[in-house]
Amino acid sequence: MSTPVTLRLQVRNICKSFLGVRALHNVSLHVGEGEVLSVVGENGAGKSTLMKILAGVQSQDSGEILLDANRLQFRSVSEALDHGIALIHQELNLADNLNIGANIFLGREPGRRGFVNDAAIYECSEHYLQKVGLNHSPKTLLGHLTPGRQQLVEIAKALSIDARVLIMDEPTSSLSAGESERLFEVIHDLRTDGVSILYISHRLAEVEALSDRVTVLRDGENAGDLDRSDVSHDSLVRLMVGRDVSRFYSRQPHEPGDAAIAVRDLVTSTWPEHELSFAIRTGEIVGIAGLVGAGRTELLQTLFGVDCPIAGQIMIGDNVVSVDSPTAAIQAGIALVPEDRKQQGVILEMAIRENIGLAGLRQNAHAAGFLNFPAETVDSDAMMKKMNIKAPNDRQLAGTLSGGNQQKVVLAKWLALQPRILLLDEPTRGIDVGAKQEIYELMDALAAEGMAVLFVSSEMEEIIGMSDRAIVMHEGRITGELSREELTEQAVMQLATRTAEATVGA
Amino acid sequence: MKGKILGIFGLLVALCLFMTFATSTPWHSIGTSTFLKAGNLQNLLSRTALYGILGVGVAFVIITSGIDLSIGSMVCFSGVLLAIFLQVDYRSVDQALVLSIDSSTRQIDLDTPIKGLQPGDRIRYSRGTRAPTALFTIDTVITDHGTQQVTVKEDIRKSDTTGEVAKAVPIQAVERFPEKESGYGAQIVVIGTPALKTQDRITMVHPTSGLRTEDIVRADSSTGSTTLYLSNDPGQRLTTEWFAIPLQRHQRMPIPVALLSVVVIACVLGLIHGLLVTRARLQPFVVTLCGLLIYRGLARWLTGDNPAGFAEYSDGLCKLASGRLELYSDAAGNTFGVPYPFFILAVMGTAAAVFLNRTIWGRYLLALGRNEEAARFSGINTSNVTLMAYVICTSLAGVGGILFALDSLSISPSSFGNFFELYAIAAAVLGGCSLRGGEGSIVGVIIGTAAMQVLNNLITLLKISAPLEGVIIGSVILIGVLADEVFKRIAAQRRLRRK
Repeated sequence: MSTPVTLRLQVRNICKSFLGVRALHNVSLHVGEGEVLSVVGENGAGKSTLMKILAGVQSQDSGEILLDANRLQFRSVSEALDHGIALIHQELNLADNLNIGANIFLGREPGRRGFVNDAAIYECSEHYLQKVGLNHSPKTLLGHLTPGRQQLVEIAKALSIDARVLIMDEPTSSLSAGESERLFEVIHDLRTDGVSILYISHRLAEVEALSDRVTVLRDGENAGDLDRSDVSHDSLVRLMVGRDVSRFYSRQPHEPGDAAIAVRDLVTSTWPEHELSFAIRTGEIVGIAGLVGAGRTELLQTLFGVDCPIAGQIMIGDNVVSVDSPTAAIQAGIALVPEDRKQQGVILEMAIRENIGLAGLRQNAHAAGFLNFPAETVDSDAMMKKMNIKAPNDRQLAGTLSGGNQQKVVLAKWLALQPRILLLDEPTRGIDVGAKQEIYELMDALAAEGMAVLFVSSEMEEIIGMSDRAIVMHEGRITGELSREELTEQAVMQLATRTAEATVGA
Repeated sequence: MKGKILGIFGLLVALCLFMTFATSTPWHSIGTSTFLKAGNLQNLLSRTALYGILGVGVAFVIITSGIDLSIGSMVCFSGVLLAIFLQVDYRSVDQALVLSIDSSTRQIDLDTPIKGLQPGDRIRYSRGTRAPTALFTIDTVITDHGTQQVTVKEDIRKSDTTGEVAKAVPIQAVERFPEKESGYGAQIVVIGTPALKTQDRITMVHPTSGLRTEDIVRADSSTGSTTLYLSNDPGQRLTTEWFAIPLQRHQRMPIPVALLSVVVIACVLGLIHGLLVTRARLQPFVVTLCGLLIYRGLARWLTGDNPAGFAEYSDGLCKLASGRLELYSDAAGNTFGVPYPFFILAVMGTAAAVFLNRTIWGRYLLALGRNEEAARFSGINTSNVTLMAYVICTSLAGVGGILFALDSLSISPSSFGNFFELYAIAAAVLGGCSLRGGEGSIVGVIIGTAAMQVLNNLITLLKISAPLEGVIIGSVILIGVLADEVFKRIAAQRRLRRK
C-alpha cells in the first residue's frame, strides 16, 4: 500500500478529441506530494496527449485539473510552468550549441537591459546541478554531454523553476543502463524532497521498480490503477493490452533449414573493436535483444549495406557477398525494414502504390528505364490484399495511414521483391495492438515459407514471444545466444547488461 | 499537383485577358489591342521559350531539394564560349611572318616561303609602322631550307623590324553593278587562281590611295585568272591599277562541333556541381553560388570584358534563336510565326516531362526529393540520381545560354544573364515546385515562365515605370505562392472534417 500523502495534482474526467477523433475520454488520475505515479499504456493510449494537457501544450475539451485543490486551466506552457508543472519531453528540448548554464536559464536569463549576467547563471546552475548529481561545470557545452547527462540537465532546468510536479515522458528511451540508474537515484531524491513525479515509460521493469502507484490507460480511457504491491509485469500487461498475453504471439513450430546467411568476424564502423559472428537458417526467426545503443541497429544497417563494414565476411548460402550498398544487399536477397519508419521506411508524401513499388522499380521497368505502370498496379493490389493494408485505395498518400498500416506498406515494398533474408528493426514500435499481431503472424508465415527473419526489438515480450533463438548484444558485441528453451527475461537482461559473470547458453 | 497547375494556368489566362482589354482602346475593341499584335505575341513566345528552358533545368535540381544559383553566369559563360568557338578571322592565302628586316640592303627574311613568289610580284607589308596600303615590289627571291629571303625595290624604314607580308595579285578587269542588278555589287578579275570560295574576302589596295575589303559571293577560276563576284560595289575609284590580296575565312570550329562543345562543357560543370554536392557533401547553395562567381569571372576574363558577338552568323545560325516558322501572312504584310526556340522548348519540355513522370529515374528523383533517407533505404543510389539532376540543370542552362546569346547577337560578359537564375527559380516555384523538394511538374514550370513573361510584358505595354518591374513580379509570385498555401490548408481541413 502506498503511504497516505497529501494530494498535489488531480485530473478529473478529462476529454479531448482531435477533429472528431477521440484521444481521451473521461480520464482521471491523481498524484500526491512526493509520490511517483507511473502512467503506462500502449502507444496511442493517450498518455502523451494527457501529459501535454497537463503541461499546457494543449487544452482539454472538458474535465478539470486541480493543483493543491485549486481548479486551473492552462492556456500556455508558461502558465503551467508558473504553477510549477514541468514536462520533460521524450526528445530533449535543449540547445546543444549552448553551455549547461545557458540551457538551464534559457528564456529566463538574469540580467539587466538585455545584458546577461553570466556569473549569476553559473552560480545558480551549480546548485541545481548538484541536486541532480551532475558534477560538470555549468560552462560545459551541452553537446559534449551524453544523452543521459543532457537528460539530467533538463531535470535541473525543471528544478530551477521550482517545479513541484515533474512529468517525464519516456526519459530512459535514449539512456544507457548506467545513465538510467543515475536517473532513478535522482528521481528517488526528488521524491524525498516532496516533488510529485508523473513517470511515463514503456519499460515495465522500470515502472515496477520506481512507482508508488500506476495508472494504466487503454484506448484513451482509464483501464485501471495498481498500487505498489499489485504492480507486476503480468498485471500491467493484462491491463494495457486488455487480453491474455500468451495468445498474442503466434508461432507455429517448424524446423529450420540450411544456413541462409552467415556472418563471420563482421566489424561495424560504430564498434570497430568488436567482431560479430553468427548464422541464421532458413525458416528461422532470430531476435536481437539488447539495450538501446548496444549496436543492434548498426548491425542490421551494415548487413543491408547502409553502413559499410570495416572487415568481415557475409555469406549468403554458399557465396560470399559484398554488401557495400543497399542495392547490392537487395540483389543478394536481403531486405531491411528500418527502425525509423517515417524517416527511413515510407515516403509519407507519396502514394501507397508508389511506396510499395519503389524498391522493385528497376526489376519491373521496361527497356530504357521506362516505368511499368501495369506491373506496379498489380503488385500493389496484391500486396494491399495480402498485407491487409487498410486504405480506401492505393493512391492515398502513405502519410494518411496509421503507423501500423505504414509499417505494412514498408513490409509490402520488400515482400514484393521476395527476399530470402528479412531484417526488421523494431518492427512494431509505435503501432497499435491489432497491427502488431498481424505483423507477428506475418513474420511467422514468412518463416514457415522458408524466409530467414532477423529482428531487433527492445520489447522483451516480443523477443521472448517471437524468437526461435535470440542473440543478445551489449555495447557492440554479442554477449550470448539463447535458444527458445533458455529464453527468459532474466537471462536476456543478464546478457544485455552483462550482470552475469559467464555468458549464459552461448 | 494538378490543382497547382490549374491554378497557375488560371493566373496565366487571367493575365492574358487583362492584358488584352487593358491594351485596347476602347477596352472592348480587341482588334486594337497592342498585346495581341503579332510582334508582341511572337516576342512573348520567344522569351517564354528561352527562359522556359532554364526553368525546366532548375526544376530538376529543385526537386532534389537543391538549388542552382549559377544559371545566369552559366548562360553568360556558354554564350561567351560559343562566341569564342565560332570566332572567325580572315588570313591572306599567301603570307609569311617577317623574321628580320635589313633596311640598308632592303632585305626581308620570312619564316616560310611564299608559294610562287617571283621578282616583279607585289607584296603587302603590314603591322609595321607603314600604312596598311604599303606595297613593295620584289627584286630578288632566295628560297632556302624552309625560309625565304627577298629584296625589294622600295626603301624600308629603319624602324620597321617585324610584321608580316602577303602576296598581292594584280587586278585585270573591273566591272561594277552599283544597282546590284545582277545580284552582286561588282565583278573583278584577278591574275592567278587563289583558293577562294563563298564567304571568303578580298582586300583591294592601291599603293597610294586606297584600301577596301569586300565579301566574295562567288569565285570562278579559269586558266591563269579568277573572276570574283563581290557582294558590294567597292566604288568607282577601283581600277586595274589596284592590287588584290585574297583572304581566306577561318572559323575556329564547325558549328555543330562548337554547339556540342558548349553543351559538353556545361555537362561537365554540372557534373562537378553534383559531385561537390553528393560526394563532398557541400550545400548546393554554396556550390552554385561559387559557380555564379567563377563562371561570370571566367566569361569576363576570356573576352577581356569586351562584348562577344555573332555578327558573322546573323543570317545563319542566329536564326535558330531569332527565326520563326511563318504560319500566317496576308497581302497587307502582316505575318505571324512561331519562334524556333519555342519548338526547342516543346521538344525539351516533353522529353523532361516523360523523363520525370515515366522513367524510373524520374520516380527516384521525386522519391529522394521527398525523403532522401527512405529512398536510400529502398536501394536507390540517391547520390547518382542527385548528380544527374545537376547535370541536367547545367546542360539546359548551357543550351539556354546558346539560344540567348544567338538571340542577342552581341553579349556583354559583365551583364549578360544577370539574375536569370532567379527568374528560373521563381518560374519553377510559381509553377508548383517546392523548394523543400519532391514536388514539381514540367508543364507547371513552363506555364509559370509564361506568366512571368506576360507580367513583364504588362510593365512594358502599360508603360509602368521600369523600376517597379521587380516590385510587381515579386508581389505576384508571393501572392501566388501564398494563395496555393491557403488553398492547401483549406483542402486539408475539409478532408479532416469529412472524416
